[in-house]
Amino acid sequence: MAKTILIVDDSASMRQVVGIALKGAGYEVIEACDGKDALSKLTGVKIHLIVSDINMPVMDGIAFVKAVKQLDNYKFTPIIMLTTEMEDDKKRAAKEAGAKAWVTKPFQPPILLAAVAKLVLP
Amino acid sequence: MQHDQNNSDSKFLYGSLPALPAILGGMIVSWQDGATLSVVFVSLLLAFFGMASGLFLWRRHINELTQTNFRWVQDENSKIDAVSTYTAELERLLLTISPILSQHVMVSREHTEQEVISLTSRFADMVGELQQIVDSADNTLGGQHYHLDSVITSSRDLLQPVLEVLKQVHKADHDVLDELQKLSGHMSGLNAMATEMRNLTGRINRLALSAANEASLAGEQGRGFAVVASDARKLADDSSQIDQQLGNKVNDIIAAINAALKISENSAQVDDSTLFQAEANIDQTLSHLSLALTHYRDDACALRNNAEQIRGEINNVLVALQFQDRVSQILMQVENNLLNLQKTIEKIQQQGSNRDGNMLRVDEAVEHIEENYKSVSSRPDHVPDSSDELTFF
Repeated sequence: MAKTILIVDDSASMRQVVGIALKGAGYEVIEACDGKDALSKLTGVKIHLIVSDINMPVMDGIAFVKAVKQLDNYKFTPIIMLTTEMEDDKKRAAKEAGAKAWVTKPFQPPILLAAVAKLVLP
Repeated sequence: MQHDQNNSDSKFLYGSLPALPAILGGMIVSWQDGATLSVVFVSLLLAFFGMASGLFLWRRHINELTQTNFRWVQDENSKIDAVSTYTAELERLLLTISPILSQHVMVSREHTEQEVISLTSRFADMVGELQQIVDSADNTLGGQHYHLDSVITSSRDLLQPVLEVLKQVHKADHDVLDELQKLSGHMSGLNAMATEMRNLTGRINRLALSAANEASLAGEQGRGFAVVASDARKLADDSSQIDQQLGNKVNDIIAAINAALKISENSAQVDDSTLFQAEANIDQTLSHLSLALTHYRDDACALRNNAEQIRGEINNVLVALQFQDRVSQILMQVENNLLNLQKTIEKIQQQGSNRDGNMLRVDEAVEHIEENYKSVSSRPDHVPDSSDELTFF
């Protein structure tokens, strides 16, 4: 059975590019346009991994990661931050919030897939 | 107040300075010649005229200054009116074009995003189709290749027994030919025997004739012998007829065997050639099939490599299309900055005649804009090295 990955990004084109890479590797994909939208999509489905942007309206990526870690069903779900940010303090904030990996945009699909393959829940 | 003070000072100077020489001259004359009434009177008169002329000049100067000031005030008022009009029009221009520019930027950004999404989708479809080509080529080079090789092998296995059968048939033909050749040899012996029998029959016939002559010479005593001689001659005649028939039959059989032998020899030669040709054709066909398979395999391999190369290029294009995200962020910054500018102008406009340049806070606004753009423009405009691209926590 294919693993399901939640993509959280306010850019539709980025969600599509990430979706292409993940679907090509056999994963099923669910999309959300910000942290709040993503939280609403965590109910009723089993998500094996989350790929999230940082800079988003309504609820940014760091706040979203912190919120996910408060959920009993998803506190152990691995989260990959996919962002254009490169500052060390933001990396540190993501790590402290509970993210497991950091991928910089623009990304090469094999790099993202390597991170997903390593972290995705069985 | 200052103006009145200056005016009073100038009035004093204009009135006192022309009277000073007359007062000073009167004092000198009074000091040298003594202070007579006439000298004092003349001096006072001169001082009075000096003061009068000075005040006259002052008055004239004041009038000129008043006129100049009036013109200057008019000029300045005109300039202030022009600047006020310019400022109002500038505000109106900014408030008018700012939403339009903002709308243009937003529409451009949305159109670009839609087109990039469309492009991305098309490229995604192309990647999927290329993946199918690669998979198909893999099947050809893997399972299908094995299948085609096994077809050639099984074809060879199937054709080999046919060749063996043909060889056996060919050997049987040669055996028949050998037997016919042996039979032909036997028929030559039979022919010799028939000739021998013919000779024997001749000798019997000649013996019967001699016996008949001897019987006729013996007369009555030789009558019985004559009967025997006659029977012997008849037997020789019968034998000659049978011998003749036998010779004819032997000749017919020899002719038939020779004809069969010739046909068999021709057939054997044709069979040799046919068998050789069939074997060569089968080998050639299998070689052609094998060569075609090799070419097919090479073509499939080249197709796979090309498809992989194109898929890599499309992946690069997909990476390049990610910069749309950055372009969108920059355009959103432009939209927000235009909106902020519009709000600032509207807020200042509400102050009416109390507004001044400091309300714009130009340096603060520029610093804010630069800070926002710095956060966008500091991001990489190229694909980062793989070492920078992925970090595990």
